[in-house]
This record gives sequence, structure tokens and C-alpha cells, in this order.
Amino acid sequence: MGGKVTCTLGEVKNRADFIVYWGGNPAECHPRHFTKYTLMQKSKFLPRGRKDRTVVLVDIRETKSAKAADHFLQVRPGKDFELLTILRALIKDQKVSEEQVAETGLSLEVLKDLIEKMKAAKFGVMFFGMGLSMTRGKHMNAAALLTLAAEMNAFTKFVAMPMRGHGNVTGADVIMRWQTGYPFGISLNRGYPRYNPGEFSTVDVLVRGDTDCAFIIGADPGATMPKPAIDHLAKVPTIVLDPHVTHTSRLSRVHITTAPAGIAAPGTGYRMDEVPMPLKPALQSPYPSDEEVVRRIRETIALRPDWMTNQPQMIEAQI
Amino acid sequence: MVQKRQLPINERPSMPTVRLMLNPMRTAKQGVNVNIGKDGDEYKQITTTLLVHQDDMAALGVEDGAAVLVRTEHGEAEFICKTDKVPPGLIFVPYGPPTCQLMGGDTDGTGMPTSKGWDVDVIPCSELDR
Repeated sequence: MGGKVTCTLGEVKNRADFIVYWGGNPAECHPRHFTKYTLMQKSKFLPRGRKDRTVVLVDIRETKSAKAADHFLQVRPGKDFELLTILRALIKDQKVSEEQVAETGLSLEVLKDLIEKMKAAKFGVMFFGMGLSMTRGKHMNAAALLTLAAEMNAFTKFVAMPMRGHGNVTGADVIMRWQTGYPFGISLNRGYPRYNPGEFSTVDVLVRGDTDCAFIIGADPGATMPKPAIDHLAKVPTIVLDPHVTHTSRLSRVHITTAPAGIAAPGTGYRMDEVPMPLKPALQSPYPSDEEVVRRIRETIALRPDWMTNQPQMIEAQI
Repeated sequence: MVQKRQLPINERPSMPTVRLMLNPMRTAKQGVNVNIGKDGDEYKQITTTLLVHQDDMAALGVEDGAAVLVRTEHGEAEFICKTDKVPPGLIFVPYGPPTCQLMGGDTDGTGMPTSKGWDVDVIPCSELDR
């Protein structure tokens, strides 16, 4: 398992005639996804728009997105990995028993019909959300789906794409990958990047109490992270840069109000297909941008090298 | 490795406790209110409204608008019940500060805490007040 067979949303709009949403609820969470890319658009190779596309939703409950789908498959909670593995077996005509399928909450007949439709498609795409990647199994569930998409290419064109979260989370991953070679969970304390999720990832560092200071830019861990991580943020000096006063601001020592990116501050936002989009501010703000605050802090520290000298783990590369 | 705490000892074993699976989720209204302000009454109401199947409401012996205490092995928080067409045995609530109280800090080496599919004990608050 490994790698991702993917494409841009422009290709989805122009070519994808078979669309699967797995563990995601775009009707609520990505309300423009249907209208801009996957369902409603009439495009070069799909001139009749919605009529030329087949949409399947896989989820543990019938969400608002189910109304927009042609087929809804209700998988039993925590059985996504099993279902994906069964689909991988079925596309290669391997034997799968009714009992194995029944455990997932679906029937062999339904899955065989799904596979027939997948193989008959000209261009299939699988979008997956937090319902797949944040339940038990996590990255292994996502890896199973990516492998299924890759293996489907033995029959027809198939790609996969994660339904990314709010703000510029894709941009954070892309820039870290470009700068360090890794997307997240990176430690620079030896002066070169090291990657180890579970060790250097934010929640783990906070829960173990490894950090004695926290600098938070444009995030609100005080309202999103587990309680032990929030408790540690309250213990150490925490600095927050955010356009709003958030739960994290309340437990921090310093809150600096910044201009909202894309509205009153320029920059680059990354779409969920990793295409960079320039952000032009429509309004003016009395507050500085995140970038300006970070740059001024860096310039101030550079003027005071004596602040950094007595720390044993500090090396020149970090300054 | 983070030590998992044992479930809090229930001091009154006769208390009606129903074991359900909690799945925090996102809604469009929640997303809008994140930007309006997390101190607003609407955001608080959204992040404390628990969607429950009618059979589970009956098992709990509560009606719409009743307060319940939800417990995991990591913490507890209060929510307001609302009947919804969710699958029986599963309950749903938008992510927010109350769900943070229930989430464990262990990421199983992945960097992400398990954010959905928690086994929880649900207790009507009316029983706690007795």
C-alpha cells in the first residue's frame, strides 16, 4: 500500500462519470463541491451534466448528501476497512462469502452491482472524508481506499482524493512537504527535519508534555483537541495569532489579532486538489497579517542572539 | 504511552445508563458559527445538541430537550437530546468544546486522536439530580 492516484478537480468536472463519496457529507461540509465539480456542471465530456454522472455515497447514516446520490450504501460503523478489502477482492473475481459481506451491513448482490458500475465507468473518482480517516483504523482505512482506486486502473481510469477540511490545511501540508519532505509531525530540533507521527505530531507532543511553549497560528486547538492536550496548552506560555478571540486565546498568555487571510490579507490558498490559488484581499484591516507578525518576531529575535545561546539543544541551523 | 483511565466508578449502580456509540460530526450551521463567534449562544446550542434515535430516547426514558450526561473513559460532558433519523445505537453531535472533554489524547502512533466511533455511557441528568 502506498501512493495516491489522483487528479485535479478540473478533470473531475470535465471527465468523472462515476463519483463515490466515502465517509463524507459534502452537502453539509463542502456545499460547493456538488455544484462546482462533481454533480451539476455540464462539461466537455459530460454535456448533460448530472444525467451523465452516477453518484454513490458510502456512510454509516443517511446524511443530507444521500439525497443527492443515486445509490446510498449504509456501512456498519468501523467496518470500512473490511468493506474496502472485500471490494478489492471482488474486482479481481476472488471468492468472498455472504457472511463476510454481511458483517459490513451490506449484501453481496449490492457490492457486485457496485463493481459492475465501477468497471463500466469511463472515469471514476473516490472522495473520502473524516468518516473513513478518523475512525478506528484511520490511515489504514485511507490506504485501503487509495489501493482500491489504484487497482481499479486495471479495468478503467480511477482516481482518489481526500475531502480536506476548512481553511488552508492542504496548503500547510503542501508547503511542509516542499520545505522538509514531510507533510506533518515534523521535528526540527536537531537542525534537520525528522518525521514521526505519534512522536512529533502536535497532539502527542502536547499530551506527553514535551513542549514548554506553544505558538499557534490560525488554529483553535482549545476547541478541537483532546482535553489532555488543551490542559498542557494552558500550563505553558502559549501565543496565539488569530483574527478572532478563540477558546485557545483564553488559555494563552498572548493573543495577537491578525487580518483574516483571503479577506483582508493576501496570500496563497491551496484547493483540496493541491492547486494553489492566489488570495486577493477584498477588504482592508487595521490588523497586520499572520505573515507580517511572524516576520517581525523573527527579525526581533535575530537582533538578540543572546536569547538563544544557553539552550543546549539549540544549534545554528535553527537560528 | 498515555495511560488510559478506568471508567469513572458509578456511585449509584441502579442509575439507568445506556451504552451508545458517539460519532462527532460537522454541519453547515456549525461551520458558519465558527466564523461568527464561538461565544455565541447558537454555537453553544449547536455543539451541545445530541441527535438520538427514538428507540434510544425511549431506552433512556427522556424526551426532546432533556439533558443527558455522556461519559467516556476520558471525561464527561452534558448534552441536550433531540430525536433524529439516525441509526439506532448511534448518536451524533457537532464537534466543539464539549466533545473535546470526551476525546482521549492517545493517537495510537498516528498523530490523530480517534475522533469518531466512541463507546459512551449516557445517563439522563434527571437521574443525577435525584
